[in-house]
Amino acid sequence: MNDGSHAGPPPMSRVLAEDLLYREAAYLDDRDLEGWLTLFTADARYWLPMDAEDPAREPSLVYDDRARMGERVFRLLDTPAHAQLPPSRTQHDVTNVRVLQSNGPRARVAAHLVVHEVRIGDVSQVGLAVPRSVAGRCVYDLRCEDGTWLIAMKTVRLLTRELPQFNLTFVI
Amino acid sequence: MPSPPDLGSLVVDEPTRFRVDGRIHTDDDIFELEMDHVFGRSWLYVAHESEVRSPGDYRTATMGRQPVIVSRTEDGRLRVLFNRCMHRGAAVCRADRGHANHFRCPYHNWVYRNDGTLVGMAQRSGYGPGFDRSELDLVAVPRVATYRGLIFACLDPDVEDLTARLDGVAWYIDQWADRSPLGTATVTTGVHRYSYPGNWKFQLENGVDGYHGNYVHESFARILDRSGERRRQDVVRTRNATNERNVSKGLPRGDALLERADGMLGTFDYAGRSDYRALISAAHGADRVQDIVTQRNILVFPNLYLFESHIRVMRPVSARETIVETYPTLLDGVADDINTARLREHERFFGPSSFGATDDMEIFTLNQTGVAAGGARWLDMSRGIERERVGGGGEVVGHSTDEVPQRAIYRRWHELILAGAR
Repeated sequence: MNDGSHAGPPPMSRVLAEDLLYREAAYLDDRDLEGWLTLFTADARYWLPMDAEDPAREPSLVYDDRARMGERVFRLLDTPAHAQLPPSRTQHDVTNVRVLQSNGPRARVAAHLVVHEVRIGDVSQVGLAVPRSVAGRCVYDLRCEDGTWLIAMKTVRLLTRELPQFNLTFVI
Repeated sequence: MPSPPDLGSLVVDEPTRFRVDGRIHTDDDIFELEMDHVFGRSWLYVAHESEVRSPGDYRTATMGRQPVIVSRTEDGRLRVLFNRCMHRGAAVCRADRGHANHFRCPYHNWVYRNDGTLVGMAQRSGYGPGFDRSELDLVAVPRVATYRGLIFACLDPDVEDLTARLDGVAWYIDQWADRSPLGTATVTTGVHRYSYPGNWKFQLENGVDGYHGNYVHESFARILDRSGERRRQDVVRTRNATNERNVSKGLPRGDALLERADGMLGTFDYAGRSDYRALISAAHGADRVQDIVTQRNILVFPNLYLFESHIRVMRPVSARETIVETYPTLLDGVADDINTARLREHERFFGPSSFGATDDMEIFTLNQTGVAAGGARWLDMSRGIERERVGGGGEVVGHSTDEVPQRAIYRRWHELILAGAR
């Protein structure tokens, strides 16, 4: 920098990756979903595949482009989404963070995720007050834009991706 | 178990009122009767032909609660076999799909050909000359038949032929299948599965319920409004319109339809694309295009729904637990981008993380919570009973928001329950 060249992106490290992933978890657990969106690039993708990972010919649990991520947040915050009335209380636990690749403004990071979830209301009612945990392995494709690392693609391979799902309407 | 007179009053069908006893969603004895007399006596959907195209292909399924293997045998025929070794009852097939010439029981190594024939027993010398092997083939479900790629099976050997069974609903299945210019579809490998802590009949009632859309799916209408795809008031107006393009139907064997010529969701409209219409017109005739592209939810009682984007199967687990599977379809012979966009719209409204069907599942849990209040007893399904009419094919037709389908469903359900109890 003292030689006058442009400052490159700060190289991805496990500490930087953890900082970003923990921040994401906090946004989600605080239900600050607008804040969550700011962590992503404009062309981001949020993907929960099933075993056949061919989006052109196969369904995913979630295959959101940035527009649909925006819809997802809009639905949860601004519409009567019955599956989230009352809303899920979540706790995203992020572990096993590893930097898989780091190449200038691009990096790939892996992590394990366990989301603990429960919906509280009249706890005697069917479907409420059932604590659940959803586990998955994450891959984050990150891109540095204007000195800030953003998520270009978040992929979560749920342990239970082929199993019957009950109310997977909160953000993983 | 409710005595036969009690069973008789579970469904009360009067000229201006139609009511169902809420115990049908909670009572374990009634659930047992359903397994025996509804699932035990009806043609059930078990698989799609595209899943078992080649000899050796198989997939497992459940008929009521009974595990079966749908197998394409070496001579190309379909057999549906109980997934139960004839020795000590262990399942002989663990995977949900695959390719195999033989099924081998892991317990004592009995081996069956994929048509069920017993071809090997470990340490055979332990069985004497008097031991009769002739009845030790895997037991086949007695009736198997297909229609437009849909494989049905029936546990009752005396059931009417599938062709007779599908009388009336077959025409609608044809329109559904002919959304492909080739008249065939391929189901995807990926299956969306839901479980919900509620009775299976909540899903049965809901897929042809045109009354709930404006309320349960207000969230989705707001999403369409926000994206500019369709204004919310137009969605409401389309759903509420009174005309021939917007109807519900009930058929004599419990089949039912929700039919909306102008679309139900206002989402990806490939049916309006000129290239698609030209393809369908060339394949099936210009006079059939409108019938084919009319959007329908088709219920084939008791366990199958055909939606535009997918095949839906209801799997009762107990009186209070249900698994629903949706199998997205790819239309054979259409542009790839149409099928890809159909998958994305399917994920958007019907997937386990979607903006539509997930709200229905929440309603089912409200249903199950509420029906525990047995002091209130009745569920009312009278809507439209005084304005419905009988169409040319014997079908009852009502406004799309009327409970014509629910009445058809429960008339048939009651008929089977009562016939079984006699």
